[in-house]
Amino acid sequence: WKKSLLARTLARRSASLMQLVYGQASAELDNDSGEEDSSDEEIFVPKGQKKQVKNELPSFDDIDAEDYSKFLKVELRDWSNEDLIKSIRDRFVTGDWSKASVRGR
Amino acid sequence: MGREKSRRLSGCRDFRQRLVLATLTSTPITIKDIRAGEGGLRPHEMSLLRLLDKVSDQHVIDVNDTGTKVGYRPGVVVGGKGLEHDCGVHRGIGYFIEPLLVLGLFARSPLSIRLKGITNDTKDPSVDAFRMVTLHMLKHFGVPLDGLELKIESRGSPPRGGGEVLLRVPNINNTLKAVNWIDEGMVKRIRGVAFSTNVSPQIVSRIFYAARGLFNKFIPDVHIFTDHRAGGLSAGYGVSVVAETTTGCLISADATVSYPNVDEMSEESEKPELMSPEDLGEQVASMLLEEVAQGGVVDSIHQGLLFMLCALCPPDVSKVRVGQLTPRAIESLRNIKEFLDVKFIIKPDPNSNTVTLKCVGAGVKNLARKIS
Repeated sequence: WKKSLLARTLARRSASLMQLVYGQASAELDNDSGEEDSSDEEIFVPKGQKKQVKNELPSFDDIDAEDYSKFLKVELRDWSNEDLIKSIRDRFVTGDWSKASVRGR
Repeated sequence: MGREKSRRLSGCRDFRQRLVLATLTSTPITIKDIRAGEGGLRPHEMSLLRLLDKVSDQHVIDVNDTGTKVGYRPGVVVGGKGLEHDCGVHRGIGYFIEPLLVLGLFARSPLSIRLKGITNDTKDPSVDAFRMVTLHMLKHFGVPLDGLELKIESRGSPPRGGGEVLLRVPNINNTLKAVNWIDEGMVKRIRGVAFSTNVSPQIVSRIFYAARGLFNKFIPDVHIFTDHRAGGLSAGYGVSVVAETTTGCLISADATVSYPNVDEMSEESEKPELMSPEDLGEQVASMLLEEVAQGGVVDSIHQGLLFMLCALCPPDVSKVRVGQLTPRAIESLRNIKEFLDVKFIIKPDPNSNTVTLKCVGAGVKNLARKIS
Protein backbone atom coordinates (compact mmCIF):
# COMPACT_ATOMS: atom_id res chain seq x y z
CA TRP A 1 0.00 0.00 0.00
CA LYS A 2 2.91 2.28 0.55
CA LYS A 3 3.87 1.98 -3.07
CA SER A 4 0.47 2.99 -4.33
CA LEU A 5 0.49 5.94 -1.98
CA LEU A 6 3.83 7.04 -3.30
CA ALA A 7 2.70 6.66 -6.88
CA ARG A 8 -0.38 8.73 -6.19
CA THR A 9 1.56 11.53 -4.55
CA LEU A 10 3.98 11.49 -7.43
CA ALA A 11 1.21 11.75 -9.97
CA ARG A 12 -0.30 14.65 -8.13
CA ARG A 13 2.97 16.45 -7.83
CA SER A 14 3.81 16.11 -11.49
CA ALA A 15 0.35 17.36 -12.42
CA SER A 16 0.83 20.40 -10.27
CA LEU A 17 4.21 21.10 -11.82
CA MET A 18 2.72 20.92 -15.30
CA GLN A 19 -0.01 23.24 -14.13
CA LEU A 20 2.49 25.60 -12.67
CA VAL A 21 4.25 25.87 -15.97
CA TYR A 22 1.42 25.68 -18.44
CA GLY A 23 -1.65 26.48 -16.38
CA GLN A 24 -1.44 30.18 -16.78
CA ALA A 25 0.02 29.96 -20.22
CA SER A 26 -3.42 29.33 -21.63
CA ALA A 27 -4.63 32.50 -19.97
CA GLU A 28 -1.79 34.33 -21.65
CA LEU A 29 -2.80 33.00 -25.03
CA ASP A 30 -6.32 34.34 -24.61
CA ASN A 31 -4.85 37.60 -23.60
CA ASP A 32 -2.94 37.90 -26.81
CA SER A 33 -5.96 37.50 -29.05
CA GLY A 34 -8.35 39.67 -27.10
CA GLU A 35 -8.03 42.66 -24.86
CA GLU A 36 -9.14 41.07 -21.63
CA ASP A 37 -7.17 41.81 -18.55
CA SER A 38 -4.93 39.07 -17.28
CA SER A 39 -4.84 40.49 -13.80
CA ASP A 40 -8.04 38.78 -12.68
CA GLU A 41 -6.59 35.45 -13.75
CA GLU A 42 -3.66 36.14 -11.56
CA ILE A 43 -5.86 36.70 -8.51
CA PHE A 44 -7.49 33.30 -8.54
CA VAL A 45 -4.70 30.89 -7.95
CA PRO A 46 -5.17 27.72 -5.92
CA LYS A 47 -4.02 28.14 -2.39
CA GLY A 48 -1.05 25.84 -2.35
CA GLN A 49 0.10 26.91 -5.74
CA LYS A 50 0.16 30.54 -4.86
CA LYS A 51 2.62 29.96 -2.11
CA GLN A 52 4.90 28.09 -4.44
CA VAL A 53 4.63 30.81 -7.01
CA LYS A 54 5.61 33.36 -4.44
CA ASN A 55 8.63 31.36 -3.42
CA GLU A 56 9.94 30.62 -6.84
CA LEU A 57 8.83 33.36 -9.10
CA PRO A 58 9.38 36.80 -7.70
CA SER A 59 8.66 38.62 -10.94
CA PHE A 60 5.95 36.33 -12.15
CA ASP A 61 3.41 38.69 -13.68
CA ASP A 62 5.76 41.47 -14.62
CA ILE A 63 5.50 41.79 -18.39
CA ASP A 64 8.48 44.09 -18.47
CA ALA A 65 10.76 41.83 -16.48
CA GLU A 66 14.41 42.18 -17.38
CA ASP A 67 15.78 39.48 -19.60
CA TYR A 68 18.40 37.71 -17.52
CA SER A 69 19.49 34.16 -18.02
CA LYS A 70 21.57 34.18 -14.90
CA PHE A 71 19.49 33.18 -11.96
CA LEU A 72 20.80 34.74 -8.82
CA LYS A 73 20.09 32.92 -5.63
CA VAL A 74 19.27 35.23 -2.80
CA GLU A 75 21.19 33.49 -0.09
CA LEU A 76 24.10 31.14 -0.35
CA ARG A 77 24.55 28.51 2.27
CA ASP A 78 27.78 28.14 4.12
CA TRP A 79 29.49 25.26 2.39
CA SER A 80 32.16 24.78 5.00
CA ASN A 81 29.43 23.29 7.16
CA GLU A 82 30.02 19.54 7.68
CA ASP A 83 26.37 18.53 7.24
CA LEU A 84 26.10 20.31 3.94
CA ILE A 85 29.32 18.75 2.75
CA LYS A 86 27.97 15.35 3.60
CA SER A 87 24.74 15.99 1.70
CA ILE A 88 26.48 16.27 -1.66
CA ARG A 89 29.49 14.11 -0.96
CA ASP A 90 28.15 11.38 -3.23
CA ARG A 91 27.84 13.69 -6.19
CA PHE A 92 31.65 13.62 -6.48
CA VAL A 93 33.85 10.78 -7.66
CA THR A 94 35.44 10.78 -4.24
CA GLY A 95 32.10 9.74 -2.74
CA ASP A 96 30.16 6.50 -2.69
CA TRP A 97 29.65 5.24 -6.23
CA SER A 98 26.87 2.78 -5.46
CA LYS A 99 24.74 5.47 -3.87
CA ALA A 100 25.25 7.69 -6.88
CA SER A 101 24.08 5.01 -9.28
CA VAL A 102 20.90 4.57 -7.25
CA ARG A 103 20.25 8.26 -7.67
CA GLY A 104 20.47 8.08 -11.43
CA ARG A 105 17.62 5.62 -11.64
CA MET B 1 3.05 33.74 -44.09
CA GLY B 2 -0.60 34.42 -43.53
CA ARG B 3 -1.63 37.40 -41.54
CA GLU B 4 -3.55 35.32 -39.04
CA LYS B 5 -0.38 33.55 -38.04
CA SER B 6 1.20 36.65 -36.59
CA ARG B 7 1.49 37.00 -32.84
CA ARG B 8 0.77 39.97 -30.66
CA LEU B 9 2.74 40.09 -27.47
CA SER B 10 3.14 42.67 -24.81
CA GLY B 11 5.98 43.69 -22.57
CA CYS B 12 9.66 43.33 -23.07
CA ARG B 13 10.23 40.20 -21.05
CA ASP B 14 11.98 37.36 -22.84
CA PHE B 15 12.72 39.77 -25.61
CA ARG B 16 15.60 37.70 -26.95
CA GLN B 17 13.83 34.41 -26.82
CA ARG B 18 10.74 35.73 -28.50
CA LEU B 19 12.76 37.20 -31.33
CA VAL B 20 14.67 33.95 -31.79
CA LEU B 21 11.59 31.78 -31.77
CA ALA B 22 9.79 34.14 -34.11
CA THR B 23 12.71 33.98 -36.52
CA LEU B 24 12.99 30.21 -36.46
CA THR B 25 9.28 29.68 -37.00
CA SER B 26 8.94 32.61 -39.46
CA THR B 27 6.17 34.06 -37.37
CA PRO B 28 5.70 37.80 -37.58
CA ILE B 29 5.35 39.33 -34.13
CA THR B 30 4.23 42.61 -32.71
CA ILE B 31 5.31 43.47 -29.22
CA LYS B 32 3.48 46.38 -27.65
CA ASP B 33 3.46 48.10 -24.26
CA ILE B 34 7.20 47.89 -23.82
CA ARG B 35 7.96 49.79 -20.64
CA ALA B 36 5.13 52.21 -21.25
CA GLY B 37 5.98 55.47 -19.52
CA GLU B 38 9.55 54.44 -18.87
CA GLY B 39 11.10 55.18 -22.19
CA GLY B 40 10.38 52.01 -24.14
CA LEU B 41 13.25 49.97 -25.46
CA ARG B 42 16.56 50.17 -23.66
CA PRO B 43 19.82 50.68 -25.56
CA HIS B 44 20.79 47.02 -25.26
CA GLU B 45 17.53 45.92 -26.80
CA MET B 46 17.96 48.34 -29.67
CA SER B 47 21.45 46.98 -30.08
CA LEU B 48 20.05 43.46 -30.24
CA LEU B 49 17.64 44.50 -32.96
CA ARG B 50 20.53 46.01 -34.92
CA LEU B 51 22.45 42.78 -34.50
CA LEU B 52 19.46 40.82 -35.79
CA ASP B 53 19.37 43.21 -38.70
CA LYS B 54 23.00 42.44 -39.43
CA VAL B 55 22.70 38.67 -39.55
CA SER B 56 19.45 38.38 -41.46
CA ASP B 57 17.95 39.37 -44.75
CA GLN B 58 14.48 40.10 -46.15
CA HIS B 59 13.14 40.96 -42.76
CA VAL B 60 11.23 43.99 -41.52
CA ILE B 61 11.90 45.57 -38.15
CA ASP B 62 9.69 48.44 -37.21
CA VAL B 63 10.05 50.42 -34.00
CA ASN B 64 7.68 53.26 -33.21
CA ASP B 65 8.84 56.72 -32.13
CA THR B 66 8.63 56.16 -28.42
CA GLY B 67 10.14 52.70 -28.58
CA THR B 68 7.19 51.07 -26.91
CA LYS B 69 6.16 48.98 -29.88
CA VAL B 70 8.17 46.68 -32.09
CA GLY B 71 6.97 44.98 -35.20
CA TYR B 72 9.13 42.19 -36.58
CA ARG B 73 8.62 40.15 -39.70
CA PRO B 74 11.38 37.55 -39.88
CA GLY B 75 13.30 36.93 -43.04
CA VAL B 76 16.19 34.57 -43.63
CA VAL B 77 19.15 34.31 -41.29
CA VAL B 78 22.11 34.61 -43.60
CA GLY B 79 25.04 34.55 -41.21
CA GLY B 80 28.26 35.42 -42.94
CA LYS B 81 31.89 36.12 -42.23
CA GLY B 82 33.72 39.15 -40.97
CA LEU B 83 30.76 40.70 -39.22
CA GLU B 84 31.26 43.09 -36.37
CA HIS B 85 28.97 44.40 -33.70
CA ASP B 86 29.43 46.82 -30.87
CA CYS B 87 27.37 45.49 -28.01
CA GLY B 88 27.49 48.69 -26.04
CA VAL B 89 28.09 48.95 -22.34
CA HIS B 90 24.60 48.35 -21.01
CA ARG B 91 24.69 44.59 -20.98
CA GLY B 92 27.44 42.02 -21.31
CA ILE B 93 28.34 40.24 -24.50
CA GLY B 94 26.69 37.15 -23.03
CA TYR B 95 23.34 38.78 -23.59
CA PHE B 96 24.01 38.81 -27.33
CA ILE B 97 25.77 35.48 -27.68
CA GLU B 98 22.86 33.45 -26.41
CA PRO B 99 20.40 34.29 -29.21
CA LEU B 100 23.20 34.40 -31.79
CA LEU B 101 24.18 30.81 -31.09
CA VAL B 102 20.75 29.48 -31.88
CA LEU B 103 20.25 31.73 -34.89
CA GLY B 104 23.70 30.89 -36.21
CA LEU B 105 22.86 27.19 -36.29
CA PHE B 106 19.93 27.87 -38.56
CA ALA B 107 21.69 30.33 -40.84
CA ARG B 108 22.48 30.09 -44.53
CA SER B 109 26.23 30.21 -44.13
CA PRO B 110 28.53 29.82 -41.13
CA LEU B 111 28.52 32.82 -38.87
CA SER B 112 31.66 34.56 -37.79
CA ILE B 113 31.23 37.73 -35.82
CA ARG B 114 33.38 39.98 -33.69
CA LEU B 115 31.56 41.28 -30.64
CA LYS B 116 32.80 44.24 -28.64
CA GLY B 117 31.76 45.33 -25.21
CA ILE B 118 31.67 43.94 -21.70
CA THR B 119 32.92 40.38 -21.53
CA ASN B 120 32.21 39.69 -17.87
CA ASP B 121 29.54 41.26 -15.75
CA THR B 122 27.18 40.37 -12.97
CA LYS B 123 24.01 40.00 -15.00
CA ASP B 124 24.92 37.86 -17.95
CA PRO B 125 26.81 34.60 -18.20
CA SER B 126 30.47 35.33 -18.77
CA VAL B 127 32.20 34.60 -22.04
CA ASP B 128 34.20 31.90 -20.23
CA ALA B 129 31.00 30.10 -19.32
CA PHE B 130 29.99 30.14 -22.97
CA ARG B 131 33.33 28.87 -24.08
CA MET B 132 33.60 26.13 -21.49
CA VAL B 133 29.99 25.01 -21.17
CA THR B 134 27.49 26.28 -23.71
CA LEU B 135 29.48 25.34 -26.79
CA HIS B 136 29.94 21.81 -25.47
CA MET B 137 26.26 21.57 -24.73
CA LEU B 138 25.49 22.03 -28.42
CA LYS B 139 27.58 18.95 -29.15
CA HIS B 140 24.91 16.75 -27.60
CA PHE B 141 22.46 17.97 -30.20
CA GLY B 142 24.62 16.89 -33.10
CA VAL B 143 26.17 20.24 -33.89
CA PRO B 144 29.53 19.80 -35.62
CA LEU B 145 32.34 20.88 -33.35
CA ASP B 146 34.64 22.29 -36.01
CA GLY B 147 33.78 25.87 -36.64
CA LEU B 148 32.19 26.27 -33.23
CA GLU B 149 34.46 28.59 -31.39
CA LEU B 150 34.59 31.53 -29.06
CA LYS B 151 37.88 33.33 -28.92
CA ILE B 152 38.43 35.88 -26.19
CA GLU B 153 40.74 38.50 -27.62
CA SER B 154 40.54 41.05 -24.86
CA ARG B 155 38.46 41.52 -21.77
CA GLY B 156 36.34 44.35 -20.59
CA SER B 157 34.55 44.96 -17.34
CA PRO B 158 31.75 47.36 -16.61
CA PRO B 159 31.31 50.29 -16.72
CA ARG B 160 33.38 51.02 -19.81
CA GLY B 161 33.89 47.63 -21.40
CA GLY B 162 36.47 47.43 -24.13
CA GLY B 163 36.49 43.66 -24.45
CA GLU B 164 36.42 41.79 -27.70
CA VAL B 165 35.49 38.24 -28.61
CA LEU B 166 35.27 36.35 -31.86
CA LEU B 167 32.33 33.98 -32.16
CA ARG B 168 32.09 31.36 -34.87
CA VAL B 169 29.01 29.22 -35.27
CA PRO B 170 28.63 26.48 -37.91
CA ASN B 171 25.33 25.63 -39.59
CA ILE B 172 23.50 22.44 -39.06
CA ASN B 173 22.78 20.35 -42.12
CA ASN B 174 19.11 19.85 -41.70
CA THR B 175 17.87 19.40 -38.17
CA LEU B 176 19.31 18.94 -34.71
CA LYS B 177 19.46 15.53 -33.09
CA ALA B 178 17.11 14.51 -30.31
CA VAL B 179 18.81 13.78 -26.99
CA ASN B 180 18.33 11.37 -24.20
CA TRP B 181 20.35 13.09 -21.57
CA ILE B 182 19.42 12.15 -18.06
CA ASP B 183 22.54 10.68 -16.55
CA GLU B 184 24.19 13.46 -14.63
CA GLY B 185 27.12 11.37 -13.40
CA MET B 186 29.51 12.36 -10.67
CA VAL B 187 31.77 15.35 -10.55
CA LYS B 188 35.27 14.29 -11.50
CA ARG B 189 37.10 17.57 -11.81
CA ILE B 190 36.72 21.28 -11.51
CA ARG B 191 38.18 23.73 -13.96
CA GLY B 192 37.92 27.44 -14.22
CA VAL B 193 39.27 30.74 -15.35
CA ALA B 194 39.97 33.68 -13.09
CA PHE B 195 40.58 37.00 -14.78
CA SER B 196 41.44 40.52 -13.89
CA THR B 197 41.61 43.70 -15.90
CA ASN B 198 43.48 46.77 -14.93
CA VAL B 199 44.16 45.63 -11.37
CA SER B 200 47.06 43.90 -9.67
CA PRO B 201 47.70 40.38 -11.04
CA GLN B 202 47.92 39.08 -7.49
CA ILE B 203 44.19 39.41 -7.14
CA VAL B 204 43.68 36.52 -9.53
CA SER B 205 45.64 34.12 -7.37
CA ARG B 206 43.83 35.31 -4.26
CA ILE B 207 40.53 34.38 -5.89
CA PHE B 208 41.94 31.05 -6.92
CA TYR B 209 43.20 30.11 -3.44
CA ALA B 210 39.91 31.00 -1.77
CA ALA B 211 37.89 28.98 -4.25
CA ARG B 212 40.21 26.01 -4.12
CA GLY B 213 40.05 25.94 -0.34
CA LEU B 214 36.38 25.17 -0.54
CA PHE B 215 36.58 22.75 -3.46
CA ASN B 216 39.37 20.71 -1.97
CA LYS B 217 37.02 19.45 0.72
CA PHE B 218 35.32 17.49 -2.05
CA ILE B 219 37.79 16.78 -4.76
CA PRO B 220 41.52 17.21 -5.31
CA ASP B 221 41.41 17.75 -9.05
CA VAL B 222 40.86 21.49 -9.17
CA HIS B 223 42.58 23.73 -11.62
CA ILE B 224 41.78 27.34 -12.26
CA PHE B 225 43.59 29.10 -15.05
CA THR B 226 44.53 32.67 -14.58
CA ASP B 227 44.09 35.32 -17.18
CA HIS B 228 45.45 38.71 -16.34
CA ARG B 229 45.04 41.56 -18.77
CA ALA B 230 47.05 44.64 -18.05
CA GLY B 231 44.98 46.82 -20.33
CA GLY B 232 41.25 47.19 -20.35
CA LEU B 233 39.23 50.32 -19.88
CA SER B 234 37.80 49.52 -16.46
CA ALA B 235 39.03 47.75 -13.39
CA GLY B 236 37.44 44.46 -12.52
CA TYR B 237 38.03 40.85 -11.62
CA GLY B 238 36.03 37.70 -11.67
CA VAL B 239 36.05 33.95 -11.99
CA SER B 240 34.11 31.26 -13.83
CA VAL B 241 34.23 27.68 -12.61
CA VAL B 242 33.00 24.50 -14.24
CA ALA B 243 32.41 21.09 -12.70
CA GLU B 244 32.86 18.22 -15.16
CA THR B 245 31.08 14.99 -14.45
CA THR B 246 31.89 11.43 -15.42
CA THR B 247 29.15 11.49 -18.06
CA GLY B 248 30.39 14.68 -19.65
CA CYS B 249 27.91 17.10 -18.15
CA LEU B 250 29.24 20.55 -17.41
CA ILE B 251 27.93 22.64 -14.59
CA SER B 252 29.09 26.21 -14.29
CA ALA B 253 28.96 29.21 -12.04
CA ASP B 254 30.54 32.60 -12.43
CA ALA B 255 30.84 35.90 -10.66
CA THR B 256 32.46 39.23 -11.37
CA VAL B 257 33.33 42.21 -9.27
CA SER B 258 33.47 45.63 -10.86
CA TYR B 259 32.02 49.08 -10.60
CA PRO B 260 28.34 49.22 -11.56
CA ASN B 261 27.44 49.73 -15.18
CA VAL B 262 26.14 52.89 -16.75
CA ASP B 263 22.47 52.29 -16.01
CA GLU B 264 22.96 52.00 -12.29
CA MET B 265 25.73 54.52 -12.06
CA SER B 266 23.40 57.45 -12.40
CA GLU B 267 21.27 56.37 -9.45
CA GLU B 268 24.06 56.41 -6.92
CA SER B 269 26.95 58.67 -7.62
CA GLU B 270 29.13 57.20 -4.90
CA LYS B 271 31.35 54.30 -5.76
CA PRO B 272 30.29 51.33 -3.69
CA GLU B 273 32.58 49.13 -1.65
CA LEU B 274 33.71 46.17 -3.72
CA MET B 275 33.85 42.57 -2.65
CA SER B 276 37.32 41.27 -1.81
CA PRO B 277 38.90 38.59 -4.02
CA GLU B 278 38.75 36.08 -1.16
CA ASP B 279 35.03 36.59 -0.69
CA LEU B 280 34.50 36.38 -4.42
CA GLY B 281 36.34 33.07 -4.61
CA GLU B 282 34.32 31.65 -1.80
CA GLN B 283 31.09 32.95 -3.23
CA VAL B 284 31.67 31.43 -6.61
CA ALA B 285 32.67 28.11 -5.06
CA SER B 286 29.47 28.10 -3.02
CA MET B 287 27.47 28.91 -6.12
CA LEU B 288 28.98 25.97 -7.95
CA LEU B 289 28.41 23.60 -5.05
CA GLU B 290 24.84 24.84 -4.89
CA GLU B 291 24.42 23.99 -8.57
CA VAL B 292 25.91 20.56 -8.04
CA ALA B 293 23.58 19.97 -5.11
CA GLN B 294 20.63 20.87 -7.35
CA GLY B 295 21.48 18.12 -9.76
CA GLY B 296 20.54 17.93 -13.42
CA VAL B 297 22.62 17.71 -16.56
CA VAL B 298 22.96 21.48 -16.95
CA ASP B 299 23.18 24.36 -14.53
CA SER B 300 20.44 26.87 -13.92
CA ILE B 301 21.81 29.34 -16.48
CA HIS B 302 21.42 26.89 -19.33
CA GLN B 303 18.00 25.45 -18.58
CA GLY B 304 16.15 27.76 -20.95
CA LEU B 305 18.53 27.13 -23.81
CA LEU B 306 18.42 23.38 -23.22
CA PHE B 307 14.63 23.33 -23.48
CA MET B 308 14.70 25.44 -26.58
CA LEU B 309 17.16 23.10 -28.32
CA CYS B 310 15.06 20.08 -27.30
CA ALA B 311 11.97 21.68 -28.77
CA LEU B 312 13.73 22.45 -32.04
CA CYS B 313 14.74 18.81 -32.51
CA PRO B 314 13.12 16.56 -35.14
CA PRO B 315 9.95 14.76 -34.03
CA ASP B 316 11.68 12.29 -31.75
CA VAL B 317 11.42 12.06 -28.02
CA SER B 318 14.00 14.10 -26.14
CA LYS B 319 14.47 13.49 -22.48
CA VAL B 320 16.51 15.67 -20.15
CA ARG B 321 17.01 16.01 -16.45
CA VAL B 322 17.45 19.32 -14.68
CA GLY B 323 17.47 20.61 -11.13
CA GLN B 324 14.80 22.91 -9.81
CA LEU B 325 13.23 24.91 -12.62
CA THR B 326 14.20 28.55 -12.61
CA PRO B 327 11.61 31.26 -13.29
CA ARG B 328 13.30 31.91 -16.58
CA ALA B 329 13.14 28.26 -17.57
CA ILE B 330 9.42 28.29 -16.88
CA GLU B 331 9.06 31.35 -19.08
CA SER B 332 11.01 29.55 -21.79
CA LEU B 333 8.70 26.56 -21.60
CA ARG B 334 5.74 28.88 -22.10
CA ASN B 335 7.32 30.69 -25.00
CA ILE B 336 8.20 27.38 -26.60
CA LYS B 337 4.63 26.21 -26.27
CA GLU B 338 3.35 29.39 -27.80
CA PHE B 339 5.64 29.50 -30.80
CA LEU B 340 6.51 25.89 -31.49
CA ASP B 341 3.50 24.24 -29.93
CA VAL B 342 5.72 21.82 -28.07
CA LYS B 343 4.52 20.84 -24.64
CA PHE B 344 6.93 19.18 -22.28
CA ILE B 345 5.94 16.42 -19.92
CA ILE B 346 7.41 17.44 -16.61
CA LYS B 347 7.96 14.83 -13.95
CA PRO B 348 9.55 15.44 -10.58
CA ASP B 349 11.93 12.77 -9.40
CA PRO B 350 11.68 12.55 -5.62
CA ASN B 351 14.63 10.21 -5.44
CA SER B 352 17.13 12.88 -6.38
CA ASN B 353 15.04 16.04 -6.16
CA THR B 354 15.41 16.70 -9.85
CA VAL B 355 12.92 17.15 -12.65
CA THR B 356 12.76 15.12 -15.85
CA LEU B 357 11.33 16.71 -18.93
CA LYS B 358 10.24 14.91 -22.05
CA CYS B 359 9.12 16.37 -25.31
CA VAL B 360 8.60 15.59 -28.95
CA GLY B 361 10.48 18.13 -31.02
CA ALA B 362 8.84 20.44 -33.52
CA GLY B 363 11.24 19.42 -36.27
CA VAL B 364 12.49 22.85 -37.18
CA LYS B 365 14.66 22.56 -40.27
CA ASN B 366 17.40 24.76 -41.49
CA LEU B 367 15.63 26.01 -44.59
CA ALA B 368 18.03 28.87 -45.14
CA ARG B 369 20.99 26.67 -45.92
CA LYS B 370 22.13 26.55 -49.50
CA ILE B 371 21.99 23.16 -51.11
CA SER B 372 25.18 22.65 -53.00
